[in-house]
Order: sequence, then C-alpha cells, then structure tokens
Amino acid sequence: MKLRFWLALWVGKIMSITIKVLGRKGTTFPGVVAGKICPQIIGLLAASYRDGTVIITGTNGKTTSNNLLASILNAAGKKVTFNREGANMLTGIAGALLQNASFTGTPRASLLLLEVDEATIPALCKQVTPRLAVITNFFRDQLDRYGELDTTVKLVKDSLPAETELILNADDPLVAQIGTSRSGVYYYGVRSLPVSKEESSETREGRYCAHCGNELCYELFHYGQLGIYECRNCGFKRPTPFIEAQEASQDENGISFRIDGDYRVALQGYYNLYNALAAFCAADRLGIERKDIRRGLLEFVSDAGRMEQFALKNCDVTLTLVKNPTGFNQVLHTLADMKKSLRLLIAINDLAADGRDISWLWDVDFEILASEELDIRQLVCSGLRAEDMALRLKYAGIPEGKILIEHSLEKAVELLETYSPVKEEALFILPTYTVLFPMRAILVGKKTGRNQVKGESA
Amino acid sequence: MRLVIYHLYPDLLDLYGDRGNILALSARCRWRGIEVDIRRVTLGDPIDFSQADILFLGGGSDREQSLLVEDLGSRAKELADSIEDGLVILTICGGYQLLGQYYQTGEGKKIPGLKILDLYTIAGSKRLIGNVVAEMNEEVFSLNTLVGFENHSGKTYLGPGLQPLAKIIRGYGNNGEDKQEGVRYKNVLGTYLHGPLLPKNPHIADWMILSALKRKGLGDSLALLDDTMEINAHRAIIARFKE
Repeated sequence: MKLRFWLALWVGKIMSITIKVLGRKGTTFPGVVAGKICPQIIGLLAASYRDGTVIITGTNGKTTSNNLLASILNAAGKKVTFNREGANMLTGIAGALLQNASFTGTPRASLLLLEVDEATIPALCKQVTPRLAVITNFFRDQLDRYGELDTTVKLVKDSLPAETELILNADDPLVAQIGTSRSGVYYYGVRSLPVSKEESSETREGRYCAHCGNELCYELFHYGQLGIYECRNCGFKRPTPFIEAQEASQDENGISFRIDGDYRVALQGYYNLYNALAAFCAADRLGIERKDIRRGLLEFVSDAGRMEQFALKNCDVTLTLVKNPTGFNQVLHTLADMKKSLRLLIAINDLAADGRDISWLWDVDFEILASEELDIRQLVCSGLRAEDMALRLKYAGIPEGKILIEHSLEKAVELLETYSPVKEEALFILPTYTVLFPMRAILVGKKTGRNQVKGESA
Repeated sequence: MRLVIYHLYPDLLDLYGDRGNILALSARCRWRGIEVDIRRVTLGDPIDFSQADILFLGGGSDREQSLLVEDLGSRAKELADSIEDGLVILTICGGYQLLGQYYQTGEGKKIPGLKILDLYTIAGSKRLIGNVVAEMNEEVFSLNTLVGFENHSGKTYLGPGLQPLAKIIRGYGNNGEDKQEGVRYKNVLGTYLHGPLLPKNPHIADWMILSALKRKGLGDSLALLDDTMEINAHRAIIARFKE
C-alpha cells in the first residue's frame, strides 16, 4: 500500500514536471498513470491538507464559483490548491494534486479547493470526505453523458458524506431538496432580481416536488427553475437562506448587491450573482472575514471565455462560452438588453466534452434574436454542427439571408472582421467547450497590438 | 386551410429539444399558408381526439412518464379508434414505448402500456447513445434516409405484424439487435430519433402534414419549400459517418 503510494506520487510528479518542461498542457495524463498505480492516490494526497477539502459541483457556475472563492481566500492570505477548469474528473483532480505536492507528498497549500464534475462525486467521496460541498444548480446538460437529470441529482445526493457541511442554492428546488433532513446545511439565495417574473415560459427542470411529486408553485421566477417556490401538498419550500442578497442590480461594471453591507463583483449576468453568493457563503463557513470577502469579490478578474474582450481590426468582440440551454438563454438575454445592433458568431461542436447530443440547441430561446426590436446584422455559424445551428436559427424566425455557414474558425472570424461596422454595435463569439480554446488562440493571435494573454491559473 | 396539432404533455415530456418538432410542423404549415392551431394538453385536460389532425407525444424521464400512463390509459380505446381512422401521430422515445403492450423494468416488473400496437420494451443494461442514420424502403418527398440522435436504455421489439419505420445503417435503433428503427402503422410513427427529428428530416414533417390534409379532404399535394438548409443539416450527419 505505502509502496504503491510513493511509486504513484513519484511517477506522477516526474511526468507532470516533464510535461511542463516540454511546454505541453495536460494535467490529466499523470493523473491517469498515478491512479492506475495507486487507486487511492487522491484520498491520500487530499488528507494532508491542513484546512481540509472544499468541493464545488453542479451544472453551471462551478469554475466561476471556484475561482471567486479562490480569490476571496487569496485576499484572506490563505494558500489554496485548485484544479484547472475542465480538469474536474478523477484524473484531472489527481493531476492537480500531483502538481501541487512535493516529492515527500506534502502539499504547497493548506486548503484544497476542487470543482468536481457531478458524475464524479460518488467516486471522489469514496476517497475524500470534504469539509464543505457547494452545489450551484442542476440544469439539463449533456444528457447523453449522465443519462437523465434525476439520476444525476440522486447520485450526488446519495454520495455526499453525512459529516460534510453543505452550501446549497436555496432558489433551485433540485439543489435545495438535497439538504432536507440533513444537518449542517447552509443555504444562499436571492429574494428578488430586477428580471424576476411571476410567470415563466422558459424550459425548466424540477417542476415537480422531489418529495411528493406535486407541481411546485412559484411566487417568483428568477430564471430557469430558480425562484421562490413551495409545494402546497407536502410543505417543501424554498429554505430561508443563511446568506441572502438584497437590492441586486447590474450595470456596465458588474453586479452590486447588499447582504450586511454593499458588495460588488465585476461580472455580467445574474447567474454570476449566484456564483458570488456560493463563494460568499462558503467563505463565511471557512471563517473568512467580511472585509476579505468584499475585497476578493471586488478584485476578481473573469476567466478565459467568460465575457472576455478581444480587439479585432475594426471592432471589439466579446468571447463567452455556451454549453447548455439555461446558460445560453442568459447570454441571449444579456445581448438583447444591450439595445445595440448585434453581430454573432456561434460555433457548436459535438465532441464528448461538448455533449454529443446537440438537441439542446432546440431548448434555447433563439426566438429572442428574431424579435423586431433587435437589429441582428450578421449571424455566422461554425463548428462541427454549423448546419444544425443554422437550421435552428432559421426555425427561430431569422431571415435566411442573415445566416452564414463557415466551418473554418479562422475564416468565420474573418467574416466578422470584414463586415462593415456601424456605430452602437456589439460583436459576440459564442463557442461550445471544445471550440473555446482554439477560438481564443485565434483571437489572441490577431495582431492588433491590443490583446494580451492573461497568465494561466494553475 | 387549418390543421389542429395536439402536443401531449409538453410540460412532462420535453426532453431533448422536442419542441423543435412542433416548431418544424408549424413553420412548414405556415410557410404554405396553412393555418395551425397548436393545443398543449397537460395532465387531466380533456382531449377530444376527433378534433385533432396531428398528435405529438415526446419523451420524458421515467418518473414523469409513469404519471401519464394513468392519465392517457383511460382514453386508450378512443386513441386506438382514431389511429384506425388515420389520425397522424408522431411518438418519440418514451411516447413510442407507451404505445406498446408493456415496459419491463430491470427487476422484471411489467409496467403496462396503452396496448395499442403489438410491440414491447425491455429495460437494457446500457444506454444506446449516438448519431443515427437509417434507411426507409421507399422515398418520401425525394429522401429515403432518416437522421437523428438516440439516447435510450429501453430495447423495443416489434410483433410480427408490424413494420419498422426504417432500417439502421449507423447506430442502434429499436434494440441494437435486429437493425430495425421505429415503427410505422397507418399514419402512426414511432421512433427513438430526436435531434430533434423533424427539422432535419423535412420529408417526414411534410409526409405528416400531407397525410393530415388528405385525411381531412383538404388536398393531395404540398407546395415545395426551399429546403437547402434542412437538407444540408440532414446530409451533414450522413457525411460524418463517411469520414
């Protein structure tokens, strides 16, 4: 046992250093090998973190919540190890642990902060008993990988150890029900948003009470199935949040909200308010002071592909990742609210990391783009499923003449660049996961002299 | 000219972009000047099958599906009569399984279906997932292939008197064993393909619309539409398999 651990640690470390020296990316390969030699490697390495392990899971917002919490912990002077975006399955987690451990197995930080893929929770919790587990939300995402949403939720619920303190989104009934009949549960939520409505026509999950199957009644819908809900049959209802945001509002510089004082985060879209609250609530439970929470949120700079700005020849463009209907709808609402002429490049791939089933495109409200109040000037469709994307736009009611298909990403960006610009215009590039990094490389490479590559976070 | 489309239980059965099928049917009617009246039917709502020209029943998760077996079960006889009378129906995934005799769970329990068609489904141990290309034995509006995406663990078997909708070229189909995909009986289609099905298979959408018009005595041909984008998307899937 001991021997296997040391062997796995050294082989894994040597591989991860070699990969780094060779200038290649890839934290999963050393993790794969180390895991083969010693299947308990994650549990053994995680156990040496003095302040324990915090995991963040859920469909949307894992990376942003994780990074916001890391920013808060940094502001408080804590040393943290965290995994890179997307490296959120066992091998990626093992890779991050190897990178951040010395040859004697001691970690370089005191706290381990992990974003964990929903389907990986059962396997991870066999090795690690997290101090805190944050669950952001559950939406339809890559159903082909996990089977149906109900299965995913049950899987997560059944595998979280009783000792683990839970930080749950009170406004998502699918998440909140996980805390029923458990102790050590802390909820976060939002009383009301400027965009909250009394009725909702959005495709949404969890219409029915997880406890009795009755339809849930809503006082307010924030977005998706998030809102103020109750079951009139068995009494299940939105729990009273431990951390609740009041007076939330949004402007060009970001979102501001009030808890026991005013807070601000430089992110767009109210879904990011939830990410900030998840980080806030977790930080509070880790004993972080309010002044550090405030500073950590304020100083946070957004990640690659999350409303990231780039300069093209005649115009600026914003790059933002799209990966499921709720996230995509949030982006479309943000675009529509800008009240500007719009040009978009949407690039859809269907590789494993994107989800092989692209039927979710039909659950996105592209009809928003066909609204008469919006001036859509150009829609370029790219990626492996460009044709499907174009067809979806046609059936959303967008004139066919405005829809272009260009499979080559370079040429698709050129189409945006060479189109005649007008004043008061916004350009967006919306890629799925496997298009994001190639697309980002193209945009960074544009020789306008205005783009800078930000440092990679480990 | 006017067609009434019943969308059954859209609030329960709306997995995998099913609403794309309704969008395709209604747009393709509208572009031809055919009025469409879409009625969303939910649990407990009265349904008068004699008012319907086209009926759509999609797929849902297991829990939600069991809720509606009960609801629809009480009207199975009426539905069966309408099917004999030529009502145009598209059922997908769970909706398709529901038309059959029973669904046998992993523990061997038989959950009764509507018993309208001679087919049955057995829970499988692995999910059959991926892009599908299938071939029909005749051309419908100049296309004889079907494309889509399947994701099911139930394995469906047709009785000897029933014809499949198409033969599998790539993918699993009804059960991954007999190369059959879906079912076609009178004007009823059952299939495991979503994607969704109709936008990318405009010939099937048009076949449904024309069959409904014929049954009503409202015409026996359809105006041609510019289907360049639809055919492009259809061919792109077939081309993926040739790479």
